[in-house]
Amino acid sequence: MNRSTIVAILTDAHLWVPVAVLIFGTTLLMTLR
Amino acid sequence: MTAVRERSTLSLHKLGVFCGLAAAVWLGSAEAPTKLVNQGFSPFLISMGMVMGAFVARWTLPTLLKGTGFLFHDLYEKPHLIVWALLGGMLWAVANTLTIFAVRDVGLAIAFPLWNTNSLVGLFWGWLLFKELRGAGAKNWAKVLGGAAGIVGGAAILAVATAQHSATPEKAMFGIIAALGAGVLLGTMYIPYRKAYISGMNPLSFVTIFTFGELGTVFTLGLIFYGSAGNLVAELHRARPMLFWPFLGGFCWVIGDLFQNFAAKYIGIGRGIPLSNTNQLWGLAWGALVFSELSGLSLNAKLLILAGSAIMIAGAVAISMASPKESELVNWKLAMNRECDRYKLNHAAVATVVGGDDPHSNDPHPRRWWEIVVMCLAVSVFVWLAIGTRSQSIPMNMTWMFVLIVGTIIPLGVCGTMLWRRTRFS
Repeated sequence: MNRSTIVAILTDAHLWVPVAVLIFGTTLLMTLR
Repeated sequence: MTAVRERSTLSLHKLGVFCGLAAAVWLGSAEAPTKLVNQGFSPFLISMGMVMGAFVARWTLPTLLKGTGFLFHDLYEKPHLIVWALLGGMLWAVANTLTIFAVRDVGLAIAFPLWNTNSLVGLFWGWLLFKELRGAGAKNWAKVLGGAAGIVGGAAILAVATAQHSATPEKAMFGIIAALGAGVLLGTMYIPYRKAYISGMNPLSFVTIFTFGELGTVFTLGLIFYGSAGNLVAELHRARPMLFWPFLGGFCWVIGDLFQNFAAKYIGIGRGIPLSNTNQLWGLAWGALVFSELSGLSLNAKLLILAGSAIMIAGAVAISMASPKESELVNWKLAMNRECDRYKLNHAAVATVVGGDDPHSNDPHPRRWWEIVVMCLAVSVFVWLAIGTRSQSIPMNMTWMFVLIVGTIIPLGVCGTMLWRRTRFS
């Protein structure tokens, strides 16, 4: 992947919404176990 | 006669609806093999067995249907989507583990409808991020939102009527939070699905990468929960005599998930996911008819089951009738254009694939020698597990089992043929 594609990925809201939810879910899982 | 002339003209909306319903049948039936596992194994271990079976299936089915040449070419053209495929698999793995905790703490009756809200979460993300239902008009909004709400409501009624209540009320709050969290994660998992499909990726390519995120996360969680790799391997070894069943469940689950992916592609996540969430009806059919799980229920409970099923079916019918109008399709195209502009994809080529007509689908894809190795390995794994499986002494109604197996295979044949004739699995 070239640099512009990587920048496009990292600045895409479609990436950070699932990442934020994944962090939330993993934190929840570790708290509840 | 060429392959192109044989293409069906079925509308993509109808195709997506059939895929959503076929997904429900297979996702629900995937529960059946896991019912053959006797008590004594942790639900997490059973889930891990399903994920391992899914991993095998997610490589063999796409290889069988399209060949690795097609899959690698598809991934090479849109490499950025590998990130989202892995992310989707990770979301699923964490969500599935949360559902296990939720069932442990509050029982299925409360947990299932709570995490079934994932369809509403998916509907929200579809509207917000992919312009689904924008310009849909009040009538279609009412059908989709009402249908999704009906399916969640029906699920709640079915769960209350069928499941046993939890014996650990002090953990109720934790269980409810875990179930709601699972709903949020599962609903968010559909963001990668939809993103991949409006970028022109083939669902079969997507799932081959998705499964690495899924398997990697499940094994990481297993290492954390069991303390060490040695403990995890020892538990898996102890579970060896029953591993065939969750493996088989995982295989069935993948077939359902593939249909779910095609539904997400052709009718969006707002419509496709609620339809596949009617899988609870099929899980219930297996439990009630084959395993006689409802034999001790009161008349009231049985009436509740009928009411819940009817509401779910009504919800599915409402969604299936909400075919997107031109004003909504314009917004779908805007979402597609965003992906093309951002990742420098060919607009015309992506539009053709999104329309179910992948230009590469008619290209010859020569089979490679390693595809035979993949097939042989997959079959060997199942044969090896089947040979070492201990017989389970669980009473089953063989007549109903036969009926339901036939009822599961028919949608596979019908919907698989529709997909092939209309899109060549693109």
